[in-house]
Amino acid sequence: MSAQAVTAREPDAFDRFGEQLADRINPIVVKEVRQGLRTRVFWIFFSLMLVACLFISLFAFAASDGIADKAGQATFIAYFVCLGFVQFFVIPYAAYRSMAREAEDETWVLLTLTGIGPRRILAGKLGSSVLQGILYASAATPFLLFSYFLNGIDLPTIIVGVVISMGYQIFLVSVSVSLATLAESRLVRSLLHFVLLGVLLQGLGFGITGAVLIGEFAQKVTSTAAFWLTSLAVLFGMITTGLLLFESAAARLSLATEDYARGARFVYAIQFIGAGLLFLWGWSISGEAEVLTAGSVTLSVYATLVGLFVASDRDGMAKVHWVSGGRYALLKPGGLRGFVLVISLLMLMAVAFTGLALGEGTLPMGAMLVLVAAPAFALLMLSLPVVVARWIPHPPWQTPAMIRLVFLGLIVLMTGVPPLIGEIVSDADDLFLNALNPVVGLINIERQSHDAMPLVLLVWGIAVGLGFSAFFSLRSRDTEWLA
Amino acid sequence: MSALLEVKGLTRYYGALKAVDDITFSLPAGTILGFIGPNGAGKSTTMRIIATLDVPTSGEVLLDGKSLVARPDQARPLLGYMPDRYGTYDDMTVFEFLDFFARAYRLRGNERKARVDSVMDFTGLMPLKDKLTSELSKGMKQRVALGRTLLHDPKLLILDEPADGLDPRARIELRELLRALASQGKAVLISSHILTELSEICDTCAIIEQGHLLATGTVQEVLSRTSNAAAFSEVELTLWAGAGMPLEEIARKTERLLLEQPLVTNVSVLNNALRFRLELAVGATPASGWVEEASVRVLKVLVNAEIPVTSFRTREHDLEDAFMSVTKGRVQ
Repeated sequence: MSAQAVTAREPDAFDRFGEQLADRINPIVVKEVRQGLRTRVFWIFFSLMLVACLFISLFAFAASDGIADKAGQATFIAYFVCLGFVQFFVIPYAAYRSMAREAEDETWVLLTLTGIGPRRILAGKLGSSVLQGILYASAATPFLLFSYFLNGIDLPTIIVGVVISMGYQIFLVSVSVSLATLAESRLVRSLLHFVLLGVLLQGLGFGITGAVLIGEFAQKVTSTAAFWLTSLAVLFGMITTGLLLFESAAARLSLATEDYARGARFVYAIQFIGAGLLFLWGWSISGEAEVLTAGSVTLSVYATLVGLFVASDRDGMAKVHWVSGGRYALLKPGGLRGFVLVISLLMLMAVAFTGLALGEGTLPMGAMLVLVAAPAFALLMLSLPVVVARWIPHPPWQTPAMIRLVFLGLIVLMTGVPPLIGEIVSDADDLFLNALNPVVGLINIERQSHDAMPLVLLVWGIAVGLGFSAFFSLRSRDTEWLA
Repeated sequence: MSALLEVKGLTRYYGALKAVDDITFSLPAGTILGFIGPNGAGKSTTMRIIATLDVPTSGEVLLDGKSLVARPDQARPLLGYMPDRYGTYDDMTVFEFLDFFARAYRLRGNERKARVDSVMDFTGLMPLKDKLTSELSKGMKQRVALGRTLLHDPKLLILDEPADGLDPRARIELRELLRALASQGKAVLISSHILTELSEICDTCAIIEQGHLLATGTVQEVLSRTSNAAAFSEVELTLWAGAGMPLEEIARKTERLLLEQPLVTNVSVLNNALRFRLELAVGATPASGWVEEASVRVLKVLVNAEIPVTSFRTREHDLEDAFMSVTKGRVQ
């Protein structure tokens, strides 16, 4: 080899730009992309996808004469299956492995000490997965466009399909990365591995079904407001749920010396308010007040299930973070603040929806009472576990995990036992026995219509009482802890 | 010397368990402090709190005058933490690994390159820069981990069991590296359960057991602070076998003579060597130089009795003695 051949090339402007860019972006992205592109898995699946797309193209081209009308649609779906397998299974799985290794080897602790912080670590993982997804998608784009030239599918449908698939990929990567942060022991890791494989296979199934539906129907309905509302709702749901999982994972990875609550609570509030606005949009498009009832029930269930995690927050953070905000700085850590945040959002929704429904005046009485009663059940179901856990003096019962277990136990008890007793003594859906049953109780309220008013008042009365009890219970816990 | 690290009344509860109980010590710049204690004593918890990975239930930690508890983000650039696991990425080369962490420390462009080169140079990793970390020996992996902690030029190094699993050569090399770092003015807090190794590295020691700090200071200071630790000294002498008398007989005669001497206890014979203690009575206050004085007196008796002594030496107290003395031998 000549001396000239081994002399290093002088960096040009492009190299310098590349260097500067790499200096500015999240170092985790640089590392992950560097590592990702070096793996055999990437190149094997990249090649397989290209080969599969090529075969599909050749087949479609050869057969296009016979099925001219549907050729574009069918090939789009076939390409999407190839791309979807990589985007909805291979990439999220690789992200899980990468994050699990980081947690297993405790390298994330070392990264946190550099000042990167858990959010940037996770964003790096997510960002590198998105980059890999873009790389795969860009390789598949010429084929997707080819399906357009075969007729049977239009460009907006292809674009909507690709955009939603990217959103879906981000969602699945968030799920995977979030699951990886739960892996604290070998046993849990093994279990999670199976859970993840199940989730991803199911996710792949949903993704491909979605692509089929988009390919089949999108072209016919893209002009309707309902299509855009549905698309937006799906995207909003995926993105905010992905973000919520992301922020929860960041909170889990946060050190006790960091304020971990802010991001997750912020996304929770945004998702709640955004979903409320989408229901209002749905109501304004359809003109049917029942949408408000559906919204009230959905958001109440959501507030209970997700809010439980916020309201049962543990005081494991540095006191310095706790005391840096006021007692009601709702985005700061602490169970009391979480509880107040959830209840505030719930009450905001209840007042807004009830006001709008009353203002319109077309909602049947049964649906109206369900709209009013649903937030009361949510308040009741959120408060009761906190109060019950506090009654048990032994400290482990007041941990977040125990409060959540008490919640599950109460759900089983309150939804399952009254119908069983009812079946024995009178009817399974006995009005009195099921008064506090969040499922049968709501159905009864809807059925009884005007007669159910006292029942709704009773539920509200008990819920408010328990709500105050939970509030004071959490407040005294905070006071004890700070002392 | 003013302290770089000050730990004041550090206490950490995990539920009802008191893992660390009111620990106070300080560490000046340029010194190496050995953190000694059995497993579960609270060493790692204390080190994790100092490394800003955990928060104390009460107490304060000041690093260069800044509170680690109140503003961990401000203190982190001043410290480097190396846990007992090396935390390397197997599919990265040595250079890529250090370069990645240098980026994470927000070192940019030429500054980053210079820093990575300087760290590789210091730790002797330059010839291995293109080797995957998975292909390195334990000792070399440990150097990579040490290199990572040095990238941002911290003032305090916290090393949790750094010599665990290293071969003797790697240990000696580690010792040299740590000495070099201390001479650069860095304070080093190091934990290990291999006491002989720590005694070779450390200037001072802190002994912890069941969350309590039992003693801190130089090894001699620690010994002198304990109630009766300074009241004895071990002596070892060897006899010449070719003195025209059977060795057993000489040994017996020597043993008899020794036992007749004041302050001599615990005499034991092993082949041509004898060990004994020079020990003051319990509660007696040791005068300065009492060991030397007693040794000279014993040696004079042996020489006058024509015992063929070829060596006579009092053994220096080391970290092991300090540890056993302070913990009363309660090793778990």
